[in-house]
Amino acid sequence: MSCTIRIPSPLRSYTAGAATVAAEGATVEEVLASLERRFAGIRFRMVDEQSRIRPHIRLYVNTTEVTVLSQPVRSGDVVHVICALSGG
Amino acid sequence: MTLSAPELSRYHRHIALPELGRAGQERLKGARVVVIGAGGLGSPAALYLAAAGVGTIGLVDCDRVEISNLQRQVLFDSASVGRLKTEAARERLLALNPEITVIAHTLTLRADNVLDVLRDYDLVLDGTDRLTTRYVVNDACVLLGKPLVSAAIHRFEGHAMTYLPGRGPCYRCLFPEAEEGVVASCAEAGVLGVLPGVLGSIQATEAVKILTGIGEPIVGAS
Repeated sequence: MSCTIRIPSPLRSYTAGAATVAAEGATVEEVLASLERRFAGIRFRMVDEQSRIRPHIRLYVNTTEVTVLSQPVRSGDVVHVICALSGG
Repeated sequence: MTLSAPELSRYHRHIALPELGRAGQERLKGARVVVIGAGGLGSPAALYLAAAGVGTIGLVDCDRVEISNLQRQVLFDSASVGRLKTEAARERLLALNPEITVIAHTLTLRADNVLDVLRDYDLVLDGTDRLTTRYVVNDACVLLGKPLVSAAIHRFEGHAMTYLPGRGPCYRCLFPEAEEGVVASCAEAGVLGVLPGVLGSIQATEAVKILTGIGEPIVGAS
């Protein structure tokens, strides 16, 4: 299943500046693994060693917040990655 | 808080809005708002609050104006370089609107002083560039039961959210913690100059909405 991932500004160094990228997977975990295969290192910026979403990151599938990485993703869904920003 | 004849003229375009009217303008005059950070976000926010007639505006910042600030911090001009931001900003805001009171808090907010600084204000606008200060301000607003309008920027992207006690999540509810350095600063990553203008204006809009009771604040779902 193909979905779209919206990449926050602080993580676009991994995606060569792309704000939106395509990924495959039936769950958030699979989508992040697909993303990692293309952009090595990006998953660890969102999820820690215990597969917990980092506290300065929020993930949403469309408008539903992701609380567990087993959350399903359907074809055509948009996965939003929201990152705390510090600039003022 | 009644309006004088010059104030009725100054704020005529507000008063002409039925949703806001004279009563709303009087509420703005009686309001006390503190702006954390006189930087990219704080500049447009404070300017619009002053222009709108918010009666008392507090400014919290400990920095001096640098020439690299002028690309986005529209409170300041070239003659401001080297001056304390709070002092230069206070002069600019009073030049814009001498009917208001501007209080300069030239200090760094910390856990041991934040409650005293924020206690006397009705509403807090956070535009700091330090993550640790965001949490200090957020936690103080939760403890004091103060509304908080928070915004942050990075390169071409920005966030804004409003916390209303008892109505929705606070900043820490959204991002439980974030260590300093986990996200590159604007000094490191750059920022489009107009971006804080957009986000700071959203913050000022939220403040006016909350203070006057018009519109629907951008409060998250609990």
